[in-house]
Amino acid sequence: MRGKVRDLSFFLSPMIIMVFLFYLIPLVMTVYISMTRMRNWNVDRYLTEFVGLYNYDRLFYMFQHDPTFKAVVLTTLVFVGITLMINVFGGLALALATFFINEKSASSYRLLWLLPRMSPIAVYSLVWYYFFHGSEIGTLNSVLMHLGLISEPIPWGQVIPWGAWSIIIFVNGLVGVSFGMIVFTSALNQIPRELVVAARVDGASSWQISRRILIPMIKWHLLYVLTWQFLSLLTTYPHLFLLVQWDLVNRDYGTTLALYVFNTAFGRGEQDQGLAAAAAVILSIIGIIGGFVTLKVLKFERMMRRPRGDF
Amino acid sequence: MRAAALWLVALVVFGVIASGCIGGEETKTSSAEVQLTGDFTKDAVEIGKILEQNGVKEVKFSAWGSGDPNSVMRVYGIVEAARRINKIWADNGINVKIVITDTHYVASFQDAYKEYLSKQPLGQAGDFFVNSYAFLPTLADEGYILDITDYAKAYQSVIDDFYPSLIEASKYNGKLYGLPQDTEARPLYIRKDVAAKIGFDLNGLDEKVKNGEFTWSDIYYWAKKAKDEGAAEWGLIHRKGSAHPDLIQFIFAFGGRLYDPNTGKLVVDVPAVYKWLYVEWKFARDGLLPEDIMSWDWAKQIHPTVVEGRTLFDIGGTWYWTEWQTKQYYAKGGTPRGLKPEEVKEWFYYTLFPAGEKGEKPVTLSQPFVWMINSKAGQLNPKYDELKDVYHKLAFLMLIKASDPDINAIHSVISAHLPVRKAAAELIKDEKWLNDLKSLNLDLSDEVKNNIRDIVQATVNPINAQFLADVSYMLEYTHLAPAHPKYPALADIFKEAVDKVLRGEMKPDEAVNYIIQKVNADPELKDAVEIQGEIPKDWKFPQG
Repeated sequence: MRGKVRDLSFFLSPMIIMVFLFYLIPLVMTVYISMTRMRNWNVDRYLTEFVGLYNYDRLFYMFQHDPTFKAVVLTTLVFVGITLMINVFGGLALALATFFINEKSASSYRLLWLLPRMSPIAVYSLVWYYFFHGSEIGTLNSVLMHLGLISEPIPWGQVIPWGAWSIIIFVNGLVGVSFGMIVFTSALNQIPRELVVAARVDGASSWQISRRILIPMIKWHLLYVLTWQFLSLLTTYPHLFLLVQWDLVNRDYGTTLALYVFNTAFGRGEQDQGLAAAAAVILSIIGIIGGFVTLKVLKFERMMRRPRGDF
Repeated sequence: MRAAALWLVALVVFGVIASGCIGGEETKTSSAEVQLTGDFTKDAVEIGKILEQNGVKEVKFSAWGSGDPNSVMRVYGIVEAARRINKIWADNGINVKIVITDTHYVASFQDAYKEYLSKQPLGQAGDFFVNSYAFLPTLADEGYILDITDYAKAYQSVIDDFYPSLIEASKYNGKLYGLPQDTEARPLYIRKDVAAKIGFDLNGLDEKVKNGEFTWSDIYYWAKKAKDEGAAEWGLIHRKGSAHPDLIQFIFAFGGRLYDPNTGKLVVDVPAVYKWLYVEWKFARDGLLPEDIMSWDWAKQIHPTVVEGRTLFDIGGTWYWTEWQTKQYYAKGGTPRGLKPEEVKEWFYYTLFPAGEKGEKPVTLSQPFVWMINSKAGQLNPKYDELKDVYHKLAFLMLIKASDPDINAIHSVISAHLPVRKAAAELIKDEKWLNDLKSLNLDLSDEVKNNIRDIVQATVNPINAQFLADVSYMLEYTHLAPAHPKYPALADIFKEAVDKVLRGEMKPDEAVNYIIQKVNADPELKDAVEIQGEIPKDWKFPQG
């Protein structure tokens, strides 16, 4: 037994080292920094200035007293909730649709959906900035006015709350849907073709094949994408940041919790790393709880069964 | 199992050390020092000799700047300073040379500030950093820029040539952290052609503004007339400001203030802020000012609307004057082009920002840019620890040389910013010197000449120089936003409030309460700001 432990330690040590260096140490440091007054990247000055829960107190004070915080919470719930559905079920729909068509066409079609994700954030955001711009220079306004459907430009992003919400959901949804599409496509391609052929022979339609065979067999992947996207959307802010910064969407209803904290810590002249670290810890806790609840509700344990050895 | 535990402990310790939490103690070394005498050539030669004696043949510095397209002298001024010092050394047989390794120039000064802030601790920021004085307090407070108070004392005669208010803007807690590089004013521009259509006589208007006779109620009257009579689509266009909103001129115009020097705190002057927001709200509700102006695009909406005469008034900046000539904002008649100097002169009247109401004074607002020296300036050069003092003083001499009157005047003319030195202001009025600048017949390096050649061709002419000479008086009326680390946060809140009243989301009194709530929402900001006064009950706008 001693020899076995020694062997295991030897083979596992590279991974253990990596986990320590890139996960545990940063985690500990983040928690520690959240208890300092670290700001403006001044490590020399603030790293040794321990202030306990000051940054957390300050954050919760802001949450309670900021008149725009309610809008931020609402925006976060709506944005994460709807974009999550779009990303997961949109990705699923795309994967299923391309599963039933010629592979060459399917690949081209999927490539189109990858373009938003492959675009640099600033370029991608700029495209939609000009598309949705609230004056006559906006593409959408320009088209609608030329068609005579509207007589005055509409500042879409400033119609609150649903104008702002629609834009941020749309912009992020286009980027995020491709992730699910790729995962699901890969999962579907692992399903033995014989099952599909047999179902076809028995007269099943594409819809029936999808509902009865394909979707049940990729349950695990669905759960994974759902959880991953939830955690990702909870903490994403780059696209939102640009759209808000450029005044395309209303500040209050275009700001999620992640962006609110980013702007508070970094957007007001000083760069408050201590406050940001505290926010990161809070968001991590929310994410962990949310992820755990998601796994429980969707009965993760029941999927983790020993294979029956049928294949 | 004990071996495994020891392994884990060793890994944790290694990780902590690798993260830089422990270790890295400094070693003390002897250092060379030099005394500044105030005689530039003598000091430069002395420093050059010390460097040569220590085997240093090349001194590398980098310069970081930011701003509008025509303000590149913010970094090339440093390049020219290096050339001039190199010439002094060559003339005195000193085999040392300053090399400017990087002229990093970006459009957004806020982005430049954030980049400097995150890279300075890593030793990767520019040795010279020219940016808004508004960011100087934070940089000074963190020790990221060099305190040059003692160096400046040796050069008091040079310092005395700068406008005093600009030297004050370069201080933090009474210490000098930089030298002014340029400044500007925020004139009110008036379209002469639109004014003529509605019988608005502009003769002597600037005197009426100076006397406080012409106020924002008068602006409202004429803006409404222009709109009602179809002379212009808008009565007023203004800037959309961000972390340093230009619209706070209104606070000063209504007799308010933003900072209490006695307590060192920022001030939300409620009556003045309320009046400001009310004016914005009124103009927008009456269709004289676009309610979405805070979302307008600079290049596609704001500037074209002004240069194409679709508004009567524009709150702008002095640098607009040449930007309108070098940028293709004018699209009437088909192909977009820049304005000719004669067109700018023919179409635009300029005056101070009028008093908010009778009894108050006209104002303007300046945002001086300041040359700052990285507190680690010269760190990439040999024997930095020993020669730190020498490198820092050399960097200071670079700033002094970059502030030579002719360099400052060149920047002023080609960028339409105001000079920071009286000697530079005199040069701008010198017709012979202007002709020399036009033909680049000046004592400048080829590198600098090549980089400003196109701008010079587009901007240097008697009309533009006359404009600068004419508006220099505005510096006597200017105000500066507070130099306080928390000011950008307060400014951001003001911007949000203005946007809300313009869009009609809030009434002016609601917006004032919003500002107060936002200030009080952050414990640190709450501690740094005083709320003074109350919303005036019976205030009316416009006034007869």
